[in-house]
Amino acid sequence: MRPLFRAIGLFIVRVFGTRLVDFQTGRDLGKALIIGWRGKIHVIGLKQAVRAVFLPQQRLTYWKQEIGFTTQPPPDFLNERGNKVS
Amino acid sequence: MPRFLNVVLSHQPPADVHRVAEYWNSLIEDADLLIAYGGRRDSFDRICFDPRVFIDDPNLRTLDHQREAQSYTEVFKQVSRWLSGNSSDVDFVTLFEFDHLPLVCDLNARQLSRMQAERADVLAYHLARVDDTSHPHYLHYAANGEFARFFQSLSVRDDPMVALSIFGTGSCWTREAFDAVAGFDEPFPVYFEIYLPTLAHHLGFRLRDYADQDRFVSNLGDRSREVDSARNNGAWTLHPVKILPARISSMASK
Repeated sequence: MRPLFRAIGLFIVRVFGTRLVDFQTGRDLGKALIIGWRGKIHVIGLKQAVRAVFLPQQRLTYWKQEIGFTTQPPPDFLNERGNKVS
Repeated sequence: MPRFLNVVLSHQPPADVHRVAEYWNSLIEDADLLIAYGGRRDSFDRICFDPRVFIDDPNLRTLDHQREAQSYTEVFKQVSRWLSGNSSDVDFVTLFEFDHLPLVCDLNARQLSRMQAERADVLAYHLARVDDTSHPHYLHYAANGEFARFFQSLSVRDDPMVALSIFGTGSCWTREAFDAVAGFDEPFPVYFEIYLPTLAHHLGFRLRDYADQDRFVSNLGDRSREVDSARNNGAWTLHPVKILPARISSMASK
């Protein structure tokens, strides 16, 4: 039963969901249903792991701000074994 | 050429373990293979392949791997112990699940080349940074303060909040990185695909991915029918493959 509900839910997301775009790169992040409920924003059906951030805006507005989405950069950390004794 | 130990993790019946071992040995010349068996003890006793180690850990034998926080920690500890007792000259350790099929006879040489080019201590499929994202595994552990405290307590990094995720199979480790990670116990059950890379990172090791090879490794389904096309498209390995190719010898000759 659970897979059926999941399939129905994902179908609804595909039909009614909003297409999200990485605000830094323009890359398509997939579709999601975004619903405000009980003081939180619920993101449903998004497969990509994203970060949500308030977007900088050129025009100063008191009535509207935007939340955009982006992703973490690919990990590229140097070896730091010599740094400290763990 | 440095020496590799290829660890194949299986819980399959003995006959299937034999087939997988035969496949590896027929494809990769001088493949140093170690079977890490997570199935039943009586099945382990009936396996006619050596070397092999028995992993007696209920945290490995999960059904809903993510929610039950499947752990490879005992695999690391057993293999590390086996290495120190039997094969101290091994330089690299690879970890493959039974349904992750190597497709090229020089797999270890290719892994070595990638590690050297990237100056990596660990290579892993689908390596990603997941902290501060909607990644479900990260969000689950972000709800537990112990997760952050554990890595803060041991991190040599400037940012102890970084969390990494990898795909569970196909990783390649320097011996130093493998033994270092094996030396730790999980503070509480943590799914290994987030625990192992995050621990290695905070111990100071450099993790890199397999670049365009990632597309040949996915988590669901059965890619048994894609073996030939994947090989023709440059795959080093393929996952998941539930049915081994029938003509092992012809694969090995390529």
